[in-house]
Amino acid sequence: MTRISYLAAAVALLSAAAFAQTPAPAPAAPPAAAAPITIDEIKNVSTPDNATRIKGDPDGGLTGNVGDVVVSDSKKGLTLGDVVNQIGQNRIAVNFVWTLITGFLVMFMQAGFAIVETGLCRAKNANHTMMMNFMVYGVGMLAYWLIGFAIQMGGVGGVATLGGVNPLNDEWSITLFGKAWGLFGRHGIFLTQGGTYDVGVMVVFLFQMVFMDTALTIVTGTAAERWKYAAFMVSSFVMGAFTYPLYANWAWGNGWLANLGGNYGLGHGYADFAGSGVVHAVGGITALALGIIIGPRIGKYTRSGKPNAIVGHDIVIVLTGCFILAFGWFGFNPGSTLAASGNGALRIGSIAVNTMLAGMTGGFGAMLYMWLRYGKPDASMSGNGLLAGLVAITAPSGFVNTVGACIIGLIAGVLVCISVEFVDRVLKVDDPVGAISVHGTNGLWGVISVGLFADGKSNFGGSWNGVNGSVTGLFYGDAGQLVAQLIGVATLIGFVFSFSFIVNLAIDAVVGQRVGAKAELEGLDLPEMGQLGYPEFELKARVAAGA
Amino acid sequence: MGIAGLLVTLLGFLVAAASVGVSSNLTMRMIAVLIGIAISLAGIMGMIIPAFRKKAVWRNE
Repeated sequence: MTRISYLAAAVALLSAAAFAQTPAPAPAAPPAAAAPITIDEIKNVSTPDNATRIKGDPDGGLTGNVGDVVVSDSKKGLTLGDVVNQIGQNRIAVNFVWTLITGFLVMFMQAGFAIVETGLCRAKNANHTMMMNFMVYGVGMLAYWLIGFAIQMGGVGGVATLGGVNPLNDEWSITLFGKAWGLFGRHGIFLTQGGTYDVGVMVVFLFQMVFMDTALTIVTGTAAERWKYAAFMVSSFVMGAFTYPLYANWAWGNGWLANLGGNYGLGHGYADFAGSGVVHAVGGITALALGIIIGPRIGKYTRSGKPNAIVGHDIVIVLTGCFILAFGWFGFNPGSTLAASGNGALRIGSIAVNTMLAGMTGGFGAMLYMWLRYGKPDASMSGNGLLAGLVAITAPSGFVNTVGACIIGLIAGVLVCISVEFVDRVLKVDDPVGAISVHGTNGLWGVISVGLFADGKSNFGGSWNGVNGSVTGLFYGDAGQLVAQLIGVATLIGFVFSFSFIVNLAIDAVVGQRVGAKAELEGLDLPEMGQLGYPEFELKARVAAGA
Repeated sequence: MGIAGLLVTLLGFLVAAASVGVSSNLTMRMIAVLIGIAISLAGIMGMIIPAFRKKAVWRNE
């Protein structure tokens, strides 16, 4: 029946195209009952003749018709098979284009991160901070192409919305508690190994690559103004090759977290729609590990441990960067359907609206918190509030309604302010841009919020992580989903932190994570990069240092 | 102290991950996962950070 319905729809579409030039179309007839379609009907669909076409098509009514359907055998002419294949390819083409364009939007977020971080740092480190954000794109991409993508997606077992992506089918697992625990994929090294020279695989790679790079660029903010550039290169490479892909495999690549539902009955398994945990918490928690190792900037704390405020040099580019990030987030979340056609992908409208609402309430939450607490609506924290709301809604964006999105964002906006104070004053970990709080704390909050607010109304092809039905949180009746989410949180805090900590301790021992005190006081632009960010400006720090 | 903190942090993860195998009761699993998270946080905030704070640059300024 489904096949017949498709054919009926195809003929209806083709007929509509063929008769679109009729001057005064009759009122639409009630839809006809689905009926078997004959080959004669297909062959008799008329096309505009050449005499009509050479006059041009100003209203677009003639362009795109039955004559544009690809025919597999010109001797046979148009067949039912040709029509059906064209419909299938059109659906996958729509999904390819959607996924690629949203991936391009996410790529542009690198520019947003770059200027947010640079604006929040002092002018004497502008070149260094920008260069870290610039080169993390290439370093991460190289690592991901070499090995990271294979670890993350090599065993995902297919992506239906992108035409199958069948070569990504080799997940390495161990058996624990009677079930297979997927740990890493093994197809996709160099995007050739394991049959992965495949158009669908390329689309998956591009989209996942820009996500991975977002996680990497979070770390540069926390370690800014004192990170040795060589150490940054090595640390970012390892994160792009191993740290990020491992957790991403467990969550998105058919790994053990994704299968907590199918294997152990915990809701739909760990559900992280667009990466509050996979992208942001991994970045924020790695930033925490590095921030502990690298230590605070000179002058950040008094001898008694009291924190000093070290303000950034350009709030204008900070808030401009926040806008760029908010724009890019429309690729991040709606794009994570990997589809605009089929499998419940029309949910993209809801996801986009959830994204913008949570960003809005996040910005409000932070601004009002700062206004009430300190008497002024702090600009940089308002920007961080917007980002915190966006980070928090990233995981639940596909599963919650607009009220849930607003609540999640509002909590995130307040939470980021409290977390910044906690990290600064209690933990005494120096985080110049607030990345640990924006991405780490609110990434974790986003993961938890799925287990609370998912309303059970989404339906991405009838199942999620192989479990039938819709993801449903505690407030809508499924406590098991919350447990699955909390296991994800425990993995981020317990495993990802430990892994990142060990990696960066090893880099510290071999390369050294921190620049010398003289270079730090002078600013890293000349000692590390050989060029000032603002060569025509006389900076206070350089004057004081006698440079 | 730092290494011990790292081990405790990892232990918290193992407790949480093992929760699915030691019980099929949802409440017990929830409790085990929360205990695991608490252990990991204690390892980071109670052991690793204090250990590294002793070497912080502002202590010698």
